[in-house]
Amino acid sequence: MKHRNPDKCVACSTCVVQCPVAEVTSKFLGPRMTGPASERFRLLNAGEDESLSYCANCKNCNISCPQGVDVANINMLARTRYSREHRPSFRDWILAHGELEADLVRFFPSSLVNFGMVNPLTKFVLDAIGISKKADLPTFARDQFPALFKSYRQPTLHKKVVFFPGCYIKAYAPETGIDLVWLLNRAGYNVIYPENFCCCGTPLYTNGFEKDARKNAAVNLLELKKWREEGIPVLSLCPSCQLMFRSEIPIYFPELAEELDGKTALDDAQEFILSCIEKGELPLAGAEQNKLDVMYHAPCHLRAQGIGMPGLELLKKLPGVHAVNADAGCCGISGSYGFKKEKYDIGMAVGSQLFRTIKDSGIEQVATDCGTCRVQIMHGTGHPVAHPLNILRRRLDTTRR
Amino acid sequence: MKHTTVVIIGGGATGIGILRDLSMRGVKAVLLEQGGIAAGASSRFHGLLHSGGRYAVKDNEAARECIEENTILRRIGRECVEESEGFFVLTREDDPSYEKIWVDSCEKAGISAAPLDVKDALRLEPNLDPDIRAVYRVPDSSVDGFRLVWHNAMSARRYGGEMLTHHQVIAIDQEGGRVKAVRARNLITGEEVCIACEMVVNAAGSWAAQIVRLVGLDVGVQPDRGTLIAFNHRFTSRIINRLHMSSDGDIFVPHGSITILGTTSFKADRPDDHHVPPEDVLRLLDIGEVLFPQLRSYRILRAFAGTRPLYISNGSAAGRAASRGFHISDHSEEGLEGMLSIFGGKFTTYRLMAEKLCDLLCSKLGVTAKCRTALEPLIADPSPEVLEKARKVFPVHGAELAANRLGDAFPTVVERAEAMKENTLLCECEMVSRAEIEFVANDPASTSLTDVRLRTRLGMGTCQGTFCSLRTIGTLTECGVSFPISPAENLRGFLQERWKGLRPALWGIQAREMELGRAVYAATLNLDGAKHEQEK
Repeated sequence: MKHRNPDKCVACSTCVVQCPVAEVTSKFLGPRMTGPASERFRLLNAGEDESLSYCANCKNCNISCPQGVDVANINMLARTRYSREHRPSFRDWILAHGELEADLVRFFPSSLVNFGMVNPLTKFVLDAIGISKKADLPTFARDQFPALFKSYRQPTLHKKVVFFPGCYIKAYAPETGIDLVWLLNRAGYNVIYPENFCCCGTPLYTNGFEKDARKNAAVNLLELKKWREEGIPVLSLCPSCQLMFRSEIPIYFPELAEELDGKTALDDAQEFILSCIEKGELPLAGAEQNKLDVMYHAPCHLRAQGIGMPGLELLKKLPGVHAVNADAGCCGISGSYGFKKEKYDIGMAVGSQLFRTIKDSGIEQVATDCGTCRVQIMHGTGHPVAHPLNILRRRLDTTRR
Repeated sequence: MKHTTVVIIGGGATGIGILRDLSMRGVKAVLLEQGGIAAGASSRFHGLLHSGGRYAVKDNEAARECIEENTILRRIGRECVEESEGFFVLTREDDPSYEKIWVDSCEKAGISAAPLDVKDALRLEPNLDPDIRAVYRVPDSSVDGFRLVWHNAMSARRYGGEMLTHHQVIAIDQEGGRVKAVRARNLITGEEVCIACEMVVNAAGSWAAQIVRLVGLDVGVQPDRGTLIAFNHRFTSRIINRLHMSSDGDIFVPHGSITILGTTSFKADRPDDHHVPPEDVLRLLDIGEVLFPQLRSYRILRAFAGTRPLYISNGSAAGRAASRGFHISDHSEEGLEGMLSIFGGKFTTYRLMAEKLCDLLCSKLGVTAKCRTALEPLIADPSPEVLEKARKVFPVHGAELAANRLGDAFPTVVERAEAMKENTLLCECEMVSRAEIEFVANDPASTSLTDVRLRTRLGMGTCQGTFCSLRTIGTLTECGVSFPISPAENLRGFLQERWKGLRPALWGIQAREMELGRAVYAATLNLDGAKHEQEK
C-alpha cells in the first residue's frame, strides 16, 4: 500500500481547530499531527502512536483543509497498515461486523435479542470487552429490511431504480427503507433491491479489517457495475455508505475502482426524490399542512461529500414544515467510535454542542440522515429523531394520518 | 592566558574528529570555532556516507578510503547513520559503456556492487523512472552531519577535550620560528582570549587559506559552491546515484523525514558563499527528473549551499575534476614550526583524516599513544530501560529520534521530561519536544535559536519555523533561558535563516507556506519593523 504524499499540508492547523475530537481531548494529537506530519515519519518506519486510534474518521479535517489534503484518509490508511501487524481487538471485531451479527440474530425474535442486548448482565459483559455500558446501542428491528421488502407489494411500474440499503437500514431502520420504496413508487419508480449488496465496508475498514472491507467492496462494485450497464440508477440513503463508494473505495482499493473507471459513487436517494418533486413526478400538493418545527442535523459524512443537504431541502419543501439547520458540528458517534468504552465520554463531549443547541431551541422534532447520528442524538437529548424521509412519508401518506 | 598542548582551528567534522582523536590519546587540546559546531560544509552537504562507488572510476584510492571509513562509521556512529543502502542506476540518458568500467573499478576498490533486476528495483523504489536500464546495490548510507560532529564532540568532551564556539581566530603568535599562542575573539561578547600552545592545527576547511594567511603563508584551497535541494518527504528509501561519470544533480539521499538532491559545482569567491541562485534549483530539477519523473510534483522545503574546501596543488584540476583526496601540510617546510594544516578530503573520510594528522602531530610531540577512534563507539547505545521510560514521556515517534540526536544527554533529558507535567511537542514537523529543546538551549554552546535548531532539527521540517519558532522562543523565555540576544532578535535571525532557504525555490506549495509565515510574523506580529514606520 502506497503512502500518501504529505506535501500539500502547509501546517496551517485549520484542521486542528475544526477537529471535534482534538477540541475535547489531548489523547488525540490532532489531524495534522497524526495525518500528514506523522506520514513523513511513517515513511521512515518510525512506528505508530496510540493517538491514531483516537481519530474518529468524521472527516471534518478533510472538509476544512484549505489545501485539499485528505487528512482522515491518511489516518485510515495508517491504521490499516498498523492493523496488518497488530490484530484489532475482539471488541473492534464485534463493532465492525454488525451485518454478520444481524444475519445471525434475524432468526430470533427481536424483542428477545434486544432484551439480550440491554439487560444489565449483557451490558456488563460488553463493558468488559470494551463497549461502554453507558452507551445506547441501536436496537434490532422486528423484521429486517430484506424480509420487509420481500413482503412489500409494489405496484406495476416501468421506470426502475435500484436501492442499496446499507447495514443500518437493513438491521435497525428498515422502515426508513420502506418509506423510500413507498415514495419512489408514488413517483412512478419500481424499486429493485439486489440481495447481493452487503455492508459498504466503512465499519470494517475504520476498525482495521481491511481484507473483509475489500471483499465487500468487490462484491458491491460487481453488483453496481451490472446496474450501471443496464442504465439503472443505484440509490443510497446512508451518508457513510455513500462516502465509502464515492471517495474511499478509490483510495483504499484503487484496483477495484478501476474496474468502474473510478466512477464508484452511488446516487443520493434524497436528491433523487428532490428531482422527482421538481419534475412533477411526486406532487406535494396533497401533503398534510399542519405546522411542524424540525431541527435538522447534517451528518459529517454527508458534509464531507460536498453534495449539499438534500434532506434539509426536502423538509423545507414540505408545506407547513419549518426546518432549521442545527449547524452545531459533529454528534460524536462516528459510526462505532462513540460506543467504545475509552471513547464514549469523548463522543458525548463532542456532541454536547449539538445536544445543547437542540435542547435550547425549543424544537421537539429532530431529523437527520444518518442512523448512528440518530442513536446518538436520542441518547444525548431524549428528543425524537426521524429520517427526513420518515417525515415526508408521514405527511404524504393519507393512510397514515 | 589559557594553556594547552594543541589548539585546533575549525569545528567541522575534521576539527572535532581531531579533538576526539587527540583527547583519546591523552593529548590536551582546545578547539576554536568561529560559528556553531558543524556550521560549515559539515552540515551543508548531501548527508551521504559514501560507499566509494561515486569515486571508483576516477579516484580508486579515494574510493577505497570511503568504503573502509563507511564500514567503520556504521559501527562507531550507529545513531548517526541510517543503513539505507544505495542504488547506482543507469538511466536512458547514461552511456551504457560506462557500466562495465564502473563495476570493475568497484571490485578493485573492494566495494560490493551487486546487480539487481530492474523490476525488483522498481518494486523497492516505485517512484523511480520505469524506463531505467540497470541497477546495482552498494553500501551507501545516509549520515546526519550535525549529529555525527556533535557525537564526536561529546566523545571528545568525555576525554577532556575542550571547545570554544563563536570564537574567531584573529592572530597566531610566533616566537623564533615556532607558534606560541593563538588569539581569538568571542564574536558574541567581544572578549579576546589567548591560548598558549605547542602546536596549532588548521582544520578550517574552506576558511583554511584565511588561517594560513595569518602567519604570512599561502595555500591552494579553493572553495567550491554546491547547491542542494531539501524535499519535504522521503520519496525514496535508498540513496539513488546515477551510474555515470560524477556530475551535477545526480544523487538523491533520503535523510530522516526528508530527501536531499544535489549538487552543483561552482568556483566560489568566498568560503561562506552560501547564496543559491534559483537557476541552480531549476537545473537540479531538470537533471533530477531523469531519475524521478514526478520530481516537480514533490514539494521543495528549501535550497541551500555549502562550499567544498577543494585542495588545488599547482597545475591540478579544479571543480568537479579536483581530487577528493586530502592533504596535510607541515608548515615547518616553509619555516614555521608547530603548525599543521589539513585540506581537501570529504565528510566520509573525516576520521581517517584526523587519524593521519594526529599520527604526524603525535610523532612531533613525542606521544606514542595509538589512534583508537575506529574502535570505540562515539556514544553508548541508550539502555532499553531508558528507552522504555522515554516512550512514556516523548510524544509520537519521538523517543528513538531524540535518543539518536541527544546521545550522552539522552538519560538527562528523559529525566527532565519525566519531571514535567506534559512534555509537549514544540516542533511538530520534526517531533522535537519541550524537554529536549530546553536542555539544548541551556547548553552553553547554544547562543541562539539557530544553535538549538542545528542540534534538535527544530524548524527544519514542513513549516520551516512558522509555528515552532514563536512557540519555542515563548517557552524558553518563560522558563528563564537567556540568550545573548533579545527574543525578538533571536526570532528574526532564525526566521531570516529559514526564509533564506525558501526564497530560491519560492513556488508551488512552499510559496503558500511562506505566505503563511509572512502573515504570522510580518503582518500579525510586525516583526519586520513596520513599527518604526508608524512612529515617524
